[in-house]
Amino acid sequence: MTTSTRRPHRTTAALACAAAVALLAGACTGSSEGGAKDDASKDTTITFWHGWSQPSEVKAISDNIAAFEKLHPNIHVKVVKNVTDDKINQALRAGGSDAPDVVSSFTTDNVGKFCASGVWADLKPFLAQSHIDPATTFPAAMADYTQYNGNRCALPLLGDAYGLYYNKDAFKAAGIASPPKTLSEFDADARKLTKATANGYSRLGFMPDFHGYESTPTHFLGQWGATYFDKNGKSDLAADPAVSAMFQWQQKLVADLGGFQKLEKYRTGFGDEFSEKNPFETGQVAMAIDGEWRTANLKADGVTFDWATAPFPVPDDQAATYGRGYQTGTIIGIARTSQKQNAAWELVKYLATDTDAVVSFANAIHNVPSTFAALKSPKVDQDPNFRTFLDIAGNAHSSTTPASINGGAYQVSLQNFGYKYESGQVPDLKAGLAGVDKEIDAAIAQAQ
Amino acid sequence: MTDALPAAALRARPTPAARAARRRTALHWIAVHALGVAAALFFLLPFVFLFLTSMMSDQQALTSDLWPHHWAWGNYSKVWHTPGFLTWWRNTLLYAGLGTVLTVVSSLPVAYALAKFRFRGRRIALMAVISMMMLPPQVVVIPMYLFWAKQLHLSGTLWPLIIPMAFGDAFSIFLLRQFLLTIPREYLEAARIDGCGELRTLLRVTVPMARPAIAAVALFQFFSCWNDYFGPQIYAGENESAWTLSYGLESFKGAHHTNWNLTMAATLLVMAPVIVLFFFAQKAFIEGVTLTGVKG
Amino acid sequence: MAALLPVPAALRAKRRREAVRTLAFLSPWLIGFAVFFGYPLVSTLYFSFMHYDGFAQPTFSGLKNWRYVLTSYPFFWQGVRNTLWLVVVMVTLRVVFGLGVGMLITKIRTGAGFFRTAFYLPYLAPPVAATIGFAFLFNPGTGPVNHLLGTLGLPQPGWFTDPSWSKPALTLLALWGVGDLMVIFMAALLDVPREQYEAAELDGAGAWQRFRFVTYPNISPIVMFAVVTGVIQTLQYYTQALVAGKVASGIIGNSGQQFEPGYPQGSTWTLPQMVYSLGFQRFDYGSACVVALLLFAVAMAFTALLLRRRSGLMGAED
Repeated sequence: MTTSTRRPHRTTAALACAAAVALLAGACTGSSEGGAKDDASKDTTITFWHGWSQPSEVKAISDNIAAFEKLHPNIHVKVVKNVTDDKINQALRAGGSDAPDVVSSFTTDNVGKFCASGVWADLKPFLAQSHIDPATTFPAAMADYTQYNGNRCALPLLGDAYGLYYNKDAFKAAGIASPPKTLSEFDADARKLTKATANGYSRLGFMPDFHGYESTPTHFLGQWGATYFDKNGKSDLAADPAVSAMFQWQQKLVADLGGFQKLEKYRTGFGDEFSEKNPFETGQVAMAIDGEWRTANLKADGVTFDWATAPFPVPDDQAATYGRGYQTGTIIGIARTSQKQNAAWELVKYLATDTDAVVSFANAIHNVPSTFAALKSPKVDQDPNFRTFLDIAGNAHSSTTPASINGGAYQVSLQNFGYKYESGQVPDLKAGLAGVDKEIDAAIAQAQ
Repeated sequence: MTDALPAAALRARPTPAARAARRRTALHWIAVHALGVAAALFFLLPFVFLFLTSMMSDQQALTSDLWPHHWAWGNYSKVWHTPGFLTWWRNTLLYAGLGTVLTVVSSLPVAYALAKFRFRGRRIALMAVISMMMLPPQVVVIPMYLFWAKQLHLSGTLWPLIIPMAFGDAFSIFLLRQFLLTIPREYLEAARIDGCGELRTLLRVTVPMARPAIAAVALFQFFSCWNDYFGPQIYAGENESAWTLSYGLESFKGAHHTNWNLTMAATLLVMAPVIVLFFFAQKAFIEGVTLTGVKG
Repeated sequence: MAALLPVPAALRAKRRREAVRTLAFLSPWLIGFAVFFGYPLVSTLYFSFMHYDGFAQPTFSGLKNWRYVLTSYPFFWQGVRNTLWLVVVMVTLRVVFGLGVGMLITKIRTGAGFFRTAFYLPYLAPPVAATIGFAFLFNPGTGPVNHLLGTLGLPQPGWFTDPSWSKPALTLLALWGVGDLMVIFMAALLDVPREQYEAAELDGAGAWQRFRFVTYPNISPIVMFAVVTGVIQTLQYYTQALVAGKVASGIIGNSGQQFEPGYPQGSTWTLPQMVYSLGFQRFDYGSACVVALLLFAVAMAFTALLLRRRSGLMGAED
């Protein structure tokens, strides 16, 4: 018996030792450090990751890259398309030779994470060396959403602005002369435009449900200019009257248009957002909140009705701010692990600040240009329906969702709350929002 | 035995009691087969719908018409020629093929030792195998990912998924051991008396006898690699040229939002090899499943 | 006891040879076990007490991650509830349906081969492909299932897009792939001695009584096995839930948006998805390891059940 009990002990001990050794190895998880010691005039190849995938978009970006390579014959760019933030995050942590030098992301959500963790390199030295002042180069909201706590690790690469799309034929038929400017006008128009049937609608004025594609809490809150965090960085949704006002407005509109159940049922008949089956394009809804890219889709899909764009209406008590909207955009930066940061900067600088590059790219993919110079350029698409969005982007009241250390998690928390609220599962709005505040603060504390 | 019963029941000229009994049997036959057809519809109709949709034009795939207006075989070649699709195929074959070979080679000796050697700690070892088999892969993924990505710089490749298979796979070890237990000791003794070492006994006697189990293990492993989504998502996700079909298929859907016809064609192209392989190896497969179901 | 007696040198040498031989045969797996199970498990425990984002060096943070996951992380308990739902409903239905189909296949006389293949085939469909296929079939607006329900005048649920229908839709997907259980039950049913049925019939037992007193006692270990492995599989439930959420929400790859699992409204969150989301989306490796350890504990508890009940798992010789 003695021998038979001793042996397993030894094996266990050996296993534990092996595990401990391996553990120590695992704990030394230093990351490879990049640097700006490369010579950007030497022959070199850099890797650029972006998220665009549609053929027209991919072509636009490769045209841009080709123009860059002509200007810098010594720098070759290897382009990798169709990359999401998850992959960027993961690859930059892993380091390695396949990791990108220049990265771009479709959302501004992760700027806080990218900047605070140092995943993206600080651009201040590069900007100083190239004599670029972000405050005079980029519109305020765009300059703001590309930095976090004074740490500038990204530049805007085209932007998106949100406004109102409306069906002019439906407006005419309903006797509405001009697009609504305040939310009470908007609500009245939405009711007028709605044609209810026994158990649905033959047409809906507006889809207010938070799942109705772009009709999310954060997009609506752009009309109130919500700030999300107080000056100590604590979530202040419950304290901010704008947030409660938005939810109350949405709830009332949902009730006015037939109630949540009926609207949700109608919503499941919507086709995919990015297709010709989009409910605004099919005429299922007469008004929609959407980004500037929809102007291009509407043209490409050849819709049969007459449509136009306008800023989304604002709350009645803030009528003076009409013209504002929610703003976001694509961002570009340099991987901290990159060994070729100087060459990478040349590309970033070109894509984000060269007026011709920004304008031609914006025109090609129908996004809002992201520099003052480009916004003013006569070469920008002059279509009035598109210009609506340039004006929204240039509006001083336009706002964005601020960067947070844990990315867009706070927006997701708010959105999840919105779904609960609109389906009637939240009896007390204030208490509910206080709960969301707590959840957001806990997640931020956990990330620090 | 009841194979030809309904026909026979009609032909015979029996007593009333026997007739009633036969009618009952016939009714029983009808009831069972009606249920069978209903179940078969449940299992097969989704395939039919997927196939029909894959044959439609872009527009029709979004309508309520179930039958293609004209058969768009071109959808399949469109999918086949999607950039990346061939690479995903190659990667999946590499992952599944290499993984299967490595698993069988490394698992067989372990299973043999567990089934046929008497040694202290055998029970513990077996329990450890079963525990590992039941372990959700997500439990250890964080340290494993850090290990492969940060120590060995192998993220963006499939090697973090292939290399571990050279060190035995718990499920394969278990299944092989279950089968090896059924090989009578006398065969192995005979081989030993003939002067074979253990390794030669394993190769000369056990392997030929265990061929069905080895085939089953190989098939299971091949399928599990082919179907794997989590592994490629974690390790290969960042590098499109290392994607496998399962992972690539998801992004294909993303790129073709409303083109359900193309997505369904791609989906069927990913299913096809598995199904074809199954038809060739049906017997081994079903035996394998039965083995895992464990005979006491 | 034998070990206590003096052992002749020759026998000792033989034993040593045998031990070396055993070790040699086991070596691939011993290495695999240490490197791919032992080490990461210890390491997971270690990281669960560390704050680590993959960039800065890990720092000790005590129970912070544990507290966060158990009290503040909004999805943890929702994920636990979802898992319980799946364990109760999905596992039960799969076992019942698998047994039913298994019994049916043993009764079918004509075209048995065809039926067996037809019933088994969906099990083989790669999960990603099968899930995308189902997301299409059950697409509320354009899918054939709702068209069919509509023509029959039945309600048309939102399936994968409706929080109260998403788990039932996943259950249907799981029932479609019931082939593995069907084959296991089929084999078990064919092993039930015929004489017992004949004896029961002589006693005048009806169909239900035959099932209750003959079939069930004979196959109950297999039912137990199916239930326990079903529970363990459910704890691992990942691919179908994640892919269904991505497809139904429309947030896949190219949209550039980050997909948070659980769509719609967190109704499809499961623990493995939390490990992924915390670890590879939020890069909070510490909290991910906490969830991983809890998942490990539950999975091992059920594995212990499997080992204790034997279910023939350990084989006749042990």
